[in-house]
Amino acid sequence: MLQLPIPAPDPLPLPLPPGVLKVLLLVTFTLHLMAVNFGVGGSLILAVHAWRGKPADRELVRRLAPLLPAAVTFAITLGVAPLLFVQLTYGPFFYTASVLMAIPWLSLIFLLMAGYVLLYRFVGATAATSLQAGSGILAALLLLAVGLMLVNVTTLSLRPDLWAAHAAASPHGLRLNTADPTLWPRYLHMAAGITAVAGLFLAAWGAWRDHSYARRSGLRWFMGATASQAVWGTWLLVTQPAPVLNLLLDANTAPSLTLWLSSACGFLALFMAIPASQEGAPPKAVWPPVGLAMASVLGMILLRDQARDASLAAFGFQPGALPYRTDWVSLGVFSLTLLGLAILLFVILRWARQPTPPSPGTGEVVP
Amino acid sequence: MNHPVWDIPFLGSGWIIGLISIIHVSIAHLVVGAGIWLALMESRAQRAGDTELLAWLRGRAKALLWLSSIFGAGTGVGIWVAIGLVNPTATQHLIRAFVMGWATEWLLFAGEMATLIVLVRAYDRLRPGQRLALVWLYALFAWLSLVVINGIVTFMLSPGKAWSTTHAMWDGFFNATYLPSLLLRTFVALALGGLWALAAGGATTGELKPRILRPSALLTLVGVLLAALSGWYYFQSFPGPARDLVLGNLKGATGLAQGFRWAIWGLGAFLVPALLALWASLAPASFRRPVALFGLLLACWGFGGFEWIREVARKPFVIREVMYSNGIRVDQVAAYQQGGFLPANAWAQTFAAAKGDTDLAKGEAILRSQCLACHTREGYRSLKALTATNSEGDNVAFIQAIRELDPALNPYLDRMPPFAGTEQEAEWVGKYLTTLKAK
Repeated sequence: MLQLPIPAPDPLPLPLPPGVLKVLLLVTFTLHLMAVNFGVGGSLILAVHAWRGKPADRELVRRLAPLLPAAVTFAITLGVAPLLFVQLTYGPFFYTASVLMAIPWLSLIFLLMAGYVLLYRFVGATAATSLQAGSGILAALLLLAVGLMLVNVTTLSLRPDLWAAHAAASPHGLRLNTADPTLWPRYLHMAAGITAVAGLFLAAWGAWRDHSYARRSGLRWFMGATASQAVWGTWLLVTQPAPVLNLLLDANTAPSLTLWLSSACGFLALFMAIPASQEGAPPKAVWPPVGLAMASVLGMILLRDQARDASLAAFGFQPGALPYRTDWVSLGVFSLTLLGLAILLFVILRWARQPTPPSPGTGEVVP
Repeated sequence: MNHPVWDIPFLGSGWIIGLISIIHVSIAHLVVGAGIWLALMESRAQRAGDTELLAWLRGRAKALLWLSSIFGAGTGVGIWVAIGLVNPTATQHLIRAFVMGWATEWLLFAGEMATLIVLVRAYDRLRPGQRLALVWLYALFAWLSLVVINGIVTFMLSPGKAWSTTHAMWDGFFNATYLPSLLLRTFVALALGGLWALAAGGATTGELKPRILRPSALLTLVGVLLAALSGWYYFQSFPGPARDLVLGNLKGATGLAQGFRWAIWGLGAFLVPALLALWASLAPASFRRPVALFGLLLACWGFGGFEWIREVARKPFVIREVMYSNGIRVDQVAAYQQGGFLPANAWAQTFAAAKGDTDLAKGEAILRSQCLACHTREGYRSLKALTATNSEGDNVAFIQAIRELDPALNPYLDRMPPFAGTEQEAEWVGKYLTTLKAK
């Protein structure tokens, strides 16, 4: 019988210890996901509000939609780094999965650019029309389709046992990873999560600006999307391959602890969001659900990584055992650049928030 | 190739990278040049107190954000996706060697986007000095990201002896073609950025028009002329065999010759924008946007031609002297010729097994792994056409002949990897090649 076709890893050593690379992967992925929540989830929510078209909805769109293109820019930019670190450590799995579904994977960039152009149309529209709302909804759907391609490659990369059959069925790389039962629940779990966090961002903005409609609408989005996780989350759990499922159901393992703690945080956030979304609730009631939901998201990011390593361990892959030789000079250059960039961002964001200078001749300061 | 093969009929996988790269490389260089142009123009307008010009430049910053955030970043991700699909083995090798370089470039790109977004979105809140600082920082970030990527791109052409022993990132980064390539790319960026500015300025009217066109034309002229000079310097710095490959194929009648002729025409076309810049400078009132766009197209053709020559000059390698274009490392060839390619490559085995493990299936599996990086069966660089008059014996003899590693005995070695398999495997490939005639 043939062995599973897992390509040999590259002979060059990793430039940093695998643990450090794992931290870089998780940190950059978290930043990417936050920007995606804002840009993609925000596009969906604001497009739906534009579609509803009531004066309060239109006001939300007018005030918040201009932030979306920058958020999507950062979602793309911040997404490159985790893509790099994934390829570095999990290359044999990642590349194989992407080649096996090459055409849908390549379509990702066209979906992304088309979605982005439409988003600019949505934001730049001078009149609130159904055409504007339609372009917003289409933009959000295209950006969500980018996520579908990412989930396809990610799930296929974890299942070397499906690769040979996938390759035989689709020699030109046309097929999605539909043979994997985790594909759709994982995608819907992610899409609901993005919408929920974007709703929370809207609620937090409403609390910060004392904008009751934004706060209550945001919480309603959060509650609806999070409640639906009872379906998507459970579906995702029960479709996990046996090694991962056993780990998650065994109360003595770290992944199990992560799963139950982050689920509990999510449930508690949902529970506390109900009174906070009522008419007349104090704005500060938003913050406990925001904090708990963020803790839940961070837990889920950790869990995602633990489940990945558990899946691949079943095929004999241990990322922690990869050989490395620390490249101190490159690490120094990277760290100095990061420090310089952080200082610069601090300074320019202060500039961006300063009051507008007086127009010549008026002496007035516009806040 | 250690990984599965993405089999693209007719077009071939190389063109997937090529098409995305042509767009990305043009936009990426244009944005670098336009960043420098914007900083120079902002300085000039602020010094002169030219409020009309300042207001116009604000619109150009917006356009630049639109161009770089959607199409620059989108096609940049596209190149990542495409190279990983077409040559995953080489991509993984490059990432292992240069990951911290790419991570640093990523920070610089984030800085580029952050400064441009703040510039556009907080324009009214910025004091003139802050705006000037921001626009120069934007230009600097954009250029520095070129400084970093240039190290990785040039490494593939001239990795150098030091790297092959130390495998230390910086030994590969500062290689023999690094500086000439950086100069060329910087000047090309100025030319493309200048032409973009001429296209934007060409649509203006009145007194403002010459105030935009004259400095933009000067930048274009400087960019085109210095790019031509540094292009020559860059070509002289190519490793000897790479230069010989280009010059040899220019005269010959090989399949590459036609491509080279197109590229050389492009290099000539690259000089035309210098004349268009003179027009914009001397008679700005009559200069129109379509003229500049035509110049931009010619410049992109010329630069694309040069990039094509650089890519082809790497043949038969993807990383010169380290890895062949089919993803087989130079140090693996002897072992594959001795012990066989199939036993060491799980994906080729998987493909052959799926087709019944016949001789033809094994031949096709090896051909997919070793030949489809550059050829297609029936389209671009068609194997069917190349072997149309061959008998099965001719095909088998040919594949067995290109197992030879001595350049004196294998005349294809300067542009095609040796066959990395046993004599028996060569026979399987030869047999499969013969079946293409009937398809």
